[in-house]
This record gives sequence, C-alpha cells and structure tokens, in this order.
Amino acid sequence: MRRSIGSRLVLAWIVVALLASPTLAATVVRVSGWGGTDIAIVEELISRFVKPVVEKEGIEVKYEPIAEDFAGFLTNSLSAGTAPDLFYMDIFWAEPLIAAGRIEPLDDYLARSKVLHKQDILPNLLQAFTYKGKVYGIPKDFNTLALFYNKDLFDDAGVAYPNETDTWDTLVAKLRKLSRPQEGIYGVAATPEFARFGAFAYAAGFKLFDEKGRSDLSQPGFVEAFRWYTGLVRDKVGVLPADLGQGWGGGALATEKVGAAFEGAWILGFLRDQAPNLRYGATLLPKHPTTKQRGNFIYTVSWSINAASKVKQAAFKVLEALTSPEAQQWVLRRGLALPSRAALLNDPYFQQKSPEAEANLIVFRGASDGNVQPFKFGKYGDAWMRPVNEALSGVMTGELTVEKALQQAQKALDEVTSR
Amino acid sequence: MAARAAPAGRRGALRRPLLTERAQEALTAYAFLAPFLFGLVVFFAYAFVRTVYFSFTRYDLFHPPQWVGLDNYLAIFQEPRFLTALANSLTFAAVVTTAQTVFALMLALVLNQKLKGITFFRAAYYMPSVTSSIVITLIFIWLFQRTGVMNYLLTLAATYWQMLLAFLALTALVQAALVIAERRRHLPASVLEPSLLVVAMMVAAAATAGLAAAGVVRAFPRQEPVIITWLNTRRRFPDWGAPIPLEAIMMLNTWTTAPTFMLLYLAGLQDIPRELYEAASVDGATPWQQFRHITVPQLRHVSFLVVTLGLIGTLQMFDQVAIIGDQAPLESVITLAYYVYNNVFPGGALPRIGAASAGAVILAVLTLVVVLIQRKVVER
Repeated sequence: MRRSIGSRLVLAWIVVALLASPTLAATVVRVSGWGGTDIAIVEELISRFVKPVVEKEGIEVKYEPIAEDFAGFLTNSLSAGTAPDLFYMDIFWAEPLIAAGRIEPLDDYLARSKVLHKQDILPNLLQAFTYKGKVYGIPKDFNTLALFYNKDLFDDAGVAYPNETDTWDTLVAKLRKLSRPQEGIYGVAATPEFARFGAFAYAAGFKLFDEKGRSDLSQPGFVEAFRWYTGLVRDKVGVLPADLGQGWGGGALATEKVGAAFEGAWILGFLRDQAPNLRYGATLLPKHPTTKQRGNFIYTVSWSINAASKVKQAAFKVLEALTSPEAQQWVLRRGLALPSRAALLNDPYFQQKSPEAEANLIVFRGASDGNVQPFKFGKYGDAWMRPVNEALSGVMTGELTVEKALQQAQKALDEVTSR
Repeated sequence: MAARAAPAGRRGALRRPLLTERAQEALTAYAFLAPFLFGLVVFFAYAFVRTVYFSFTRYDLFHPPQWVGLDNYLAIFQEPRFLTALANSLTFAAVVTTAQTVFALMLALVLNQKLKGITFFRAAYYMPSVTSSIVITLIFIWLFQRTGVMNYLLTLAATYWQMLLAFLALTALVQAALVIAERRRHLPASVLEPSLLVVAMMVAAAATAGLAAAGVVRAFPRQEPVIITWLNTRRRFPDWGAPIPLEAIMMLNTWTTAPTFMLLYLAGLQDIPRELYEAASVDGATPWQQFRHITVPQLRHVSFLVVTLGLIGTLQMFDQVAIIGDQAPLESVITLAYYVYNNVFPGGALPRIGAASAGAVILAVLTLVVVLIQRKVVER
C-alpha cells in the first residue's frame, strides 16, 4: 500500500514536470560578438532594449562575447555546428560564409516583420550584405573614411582648413604649406594600406574585378591614384605613421606632428582618450581633380542568423530589438557608432556643435557621396589586399618604383584570383 | 587492525595470482601512462591520420571533403608561395640551428666557471627563454622599426665614428702598455686584465676628449638619420642570402632559444670528469686542445640532443612570423608552418584545408628526414 502511494506520487510529479516544462523553459537565443570595449556596450544594449521586449515572449538572451579572432571562431563553430544563433558578421569576411550557405537569408523575416523593413536601412549598407539578390544581415552600424585635421597646425602655418570643395591638388597645396620635414612636421599621415588608399582609387574610377573576375591594376584610375597617394610620402608632404612610431593614422594625428589623417569615426574615442586637448576638425575626403568625384569605403558589421539555428524566429526577434530605432539612437547619442537606420540622419544629435558630432555627420554623409564601395574583396579577403599593401609600402619606403611595384602586385594578384 | 589484515594477505599469497608478476608490472606501467597515451592518441595520432587524409582532398570545412588524390601535392609544388616558404624554412633551420648550438656552447663554457655571482648571470642569460615569444617579438619589432633603436644607434655611430675609433684605439694601446709593464715586473697579467682595462678606458676617454677639444677628431652631425629598412623589405643580404626580415628573425630566434640549450650544455659540462682535464694539463695540452679533444667529444650526446631539438624547433617556427604580420612582405618571412596556418585561417576567405594538410604532411616528413640525416652524420 505504502509503496503504491509512493510510486503514484512520483508518477504525478513526472506528469506535472512534463506539462510544465514548455512554459517554464524559455527559448534561449545565443548571441555572439567580439570582446574588448564592445562587451559593455552590447550588455547594456541587451539589458536596456532587448530583454524588456523579448522576455515577454519567453525568449532568453545569452550573450557570449569572444575575446580573440572572432572570424576564426565563427568559421570553426559554424562548420562544427556549435555556432551561436545570432552573431556579428563583418563585411570583410561575410561573402565566403554566405556563399557556403551557413547564413540565413532574411528577406522572408523582413517581409513579415512589423518593426524592421528593408527601406529603414541605408541602401548602401543593406546592399553590402546582399548576395545574389538576398539580404543576409542587418547592418548594426557602419563607418566610412573622412579627412581629420589638426586645427592648430593649420592655424600656425596660416593655411585655410581643408574643406568639402578641395580636390586632390588643392588639398596637397594646403598640406605642402604646412609641411616642415626638417622640423618633423608633416602634412598628412599616409598609411600604406589599401584600406585607406582604396578610397582614392575608387574616386578615380577603379573597379575591383572585371567580368572575368580578374583585378587589373593597370587601370588608369588605379595607377593615377597610386602615383598620387605614394607621391605624398615621396614628396615629403606626407609621412608613414610607422616613421612617427605609430601604427595608424589616428596615432600619428595624436602626436600633433601631422596636419591630417584619413580615418573613420573609430578615431573619435581614441582621440578623446589619447589626445583630449587636440583641436581637430573633419571634412569629406577630397575630390578627384578631373572627375570631381569622391571615393570611399563602407566598413560595416551586421547582425546575422545562423542558418542551422533551431530558434531562428526567436533570433530574429532579438535582432529586431537590437536594431530598433531606440537602440540605435542610444548608440548614436552615446557617441559609440553610426547607426544604420536612414531616419537617424535627422536626429538632433547631428545638429550639435561638438567636434565629435560634426565628425560623425561627415562620416555618415561619406556613405552616400560618390563611388562608395563596401570594404570587401569577393572571396579573397586578405589575400587580395596583401599584394597591394606590399606595393604601397614598397614605393612609400623608397624601395620600389611605381612601375616595378605594380608589376609585382599584379603578378601576385593573378596568382590569387586564378587558384 | 594488523592482526585482521595478516590472514587476508596470507590467503592471497597462497592463491595462484591471476597475472604473472611481469604482466602486473606492465599493466601498472600502462595504467600510469594511460592519461598521456590517451592525449597522444586523440590529439596526435588521430589528428595526424586525419591530416594525411585531408591532404588528399579538397576541403573548406563547409562542404564535404572531395577526394582529389595527389592533386594538392602536385599543385603545392607549383605554388610560388609554398616554394618560398620551403626555401625560407630550410635556410632558417640550417642557420639558426648552427648559430644557436655554437652560441649555447659558448655561453655554457663561460657560465661554467667558478666565479662569484655566476648564478646571477646564469639566470640573466636564461631570461630570454622564459619570456613570452610574443612579447619579445613585439619589443623586437620596435627595435627594428625605421625609427627604432637599431637605426638610432647606427645614426650615433655614423655621427661619432671618429671619436669612437680613437677611443677604442687608445684603450688598446694603453692596455697593451700596462700589461707589458706588469709583465716586466714579473707579475701575472692577462691580456684583458679587468683592473688594468678600467684604467686604460679612463685614460683613453680623457685623451679622446682632449683630441676632440683640439679638433683632431670630430663629430659629423647628420641632416638625415641613417635609415635601414629591416622589416619592410624584399632585399636579401648578401644578394644570394636570406631576405633581411628573415635574417632579423634569425637573430631574434637564436637569442631567445640559445639559453635553453645552454642549460643542457651546462649540465653536460658538469658531468665531464675533472680528472680528464687534469691529466691533459699534466701532459701539457693547451686550453684549445683540451676543448677540442675533451670537451667536444664528451658533450657529443648533448650536442645530438641540442641539434635535434633545434632542427625540430626551427623547422616549425611560426609565432615570430605571425606577429610581424604586415610589417614585412609575406614572401620575405613566410615559413612552412606559417604557410599551413595561412591556408587554414586565411583572412576573409574560406579555409583551404587540403593545401594546408599537404603542407603540414610535407613539413612532418621533412622534419623526420632532416633529423634522420643528422643522426647518421653524428653516429658516423
């Protein structure tokens, strides 16, 4: 008798537990991005804007930041089937993963969504994550290049600040007046990288790939931009950041030994910390002297969904909350990054008279002025950029002639694109 | 307690044991080895077999591996980057193994002396080996930058070479004079007697200052600092030699690995019976003859270990190339291990596991062959 009561009780418990579990256990959405300063921002975003919205629907968000080599982590975990449900996808390495079929296309979700539509997002940004007509990521924010300059150095030399009407030639004329190499003062910090120089190649009409998928570095636009950019350093109007003991243009600008640098809004936080007294301004990149066109890069990162995820609907709900107007406005007003929602261009933040807000507006405008290309290289990634970077540094350190450098780079690129 | 345990033990002893003593011993050994063997099988044997398999396939981690036979091996030998990596690896292994072995032996000989405070120097010289190679490489990049310490020192040397030369020449002269004077008085003074050297240097410094004031020697202030590009260059030195950035890594690598081998040599040196040296001294052998005919042969087994470990380590050198990254053109620094890594984790592209595995297998075979050759040479 006693035994049967006991067993019945156990049975009852099991039934209750089984019935209750679907309502008690929430759907868990694993969210991943890189580490560093990003962790605090995403944690705050999630607790402020995501949890209040999705918890009502029984969705629990689990944030898993990755301390190092996020791209490597994602490649490995996607192939092993252990990847998070929702994650960052950098435009630079997005295409190979999309082409491998591991990223969920979002068109159907967007068509059904009540709060997120394609037309909300800046078209250039959405285009960057569109592959064969389908959208594979919602840009969380973006950056472009702008010309950042040191107002004091221009004032000391009695030279007018660079402005939006400047062409390559008028800018160099201004920078030349500023430059006093014997005293260690240079007009501009020129980084020997396609990630900066490429904007000028695009301004001159450079096309990354031809119809056959080959990159032709002998295009007149590329050669012209290459001569101009490397010439900055050879004529001592510009200097390599490495020669000032710095790794990038922002570091060089902070030393107050260069008049200008080509960087994106990521420089703002750095200057706030490292050179709080620097009086700086920002303007759009100079125009090509004859085409009167600008070029630029779009550096952007999306929120994307794992195609193998078991909770894709819930993951999209989290994505909606992460890119909601309120969340993006918070990011913008904190001065953290530029939002991808087009409507935020009219946000009062941009009307402020602070150098940061003004610089952010310039970077925001850079995304839709002239020949603007996403920072990606088909399926080649680093392998495409490396030969061009080596050609740039070879010429800028005075070791190679322009002809020799371009010839070597073309040979290396052909090896890359033919394999 | 003991009273109760004793009968049990006696009973066990009376029964025939399940296993022979020998088998039990072997089993115990394997039980202790099990954790290590498990790791070896899972992380090395299994991984190695998989690597060999993948080297015959086209595989990008996302699509199922496709069997392509020997294609990867044929393709890899037509790829200029792989051939560069192969040549760089072999040069690197040959030069660094030789340099670090010689350097380690020299260090060990110096640090084997019975001097006060020698343990401090032993610890100091061992420091590079225990410091993280990442940290050392970062410091090293900073030294070799275009505006780094190396070029700064060269600029100083180019400016003050006359004074430097005068100082060194005067020191040598004064030292020689002092040593001759001591020996005339029948006092034992070695050529580099430290106390005399200090006096010589002080006299030489004063004399150089005098010469400079008189305008006999002078500085040459330079408009432009000396700039030698150590890292960002494709140049080779000499023209048939290794690329300059790789040579810079060789210096760094020798400096950081020699101390470990020095420790092995130090242990070897202390094992050599003193009587051998005493007997040799009695027979009138010079220090060089003692080194040549006692020290070197006695250290043969240590040398074998040092050279083998050196070859394996240098053929697999990776971290320093990875850290230097964009600071040097890839073809000037790429090694086989980096080639493998670069194919598994290409930035912004899908992995090329097939080519990487073929590269890894070639690296493994190469290491084996080089060590076998080395063994043959030593045993001869």
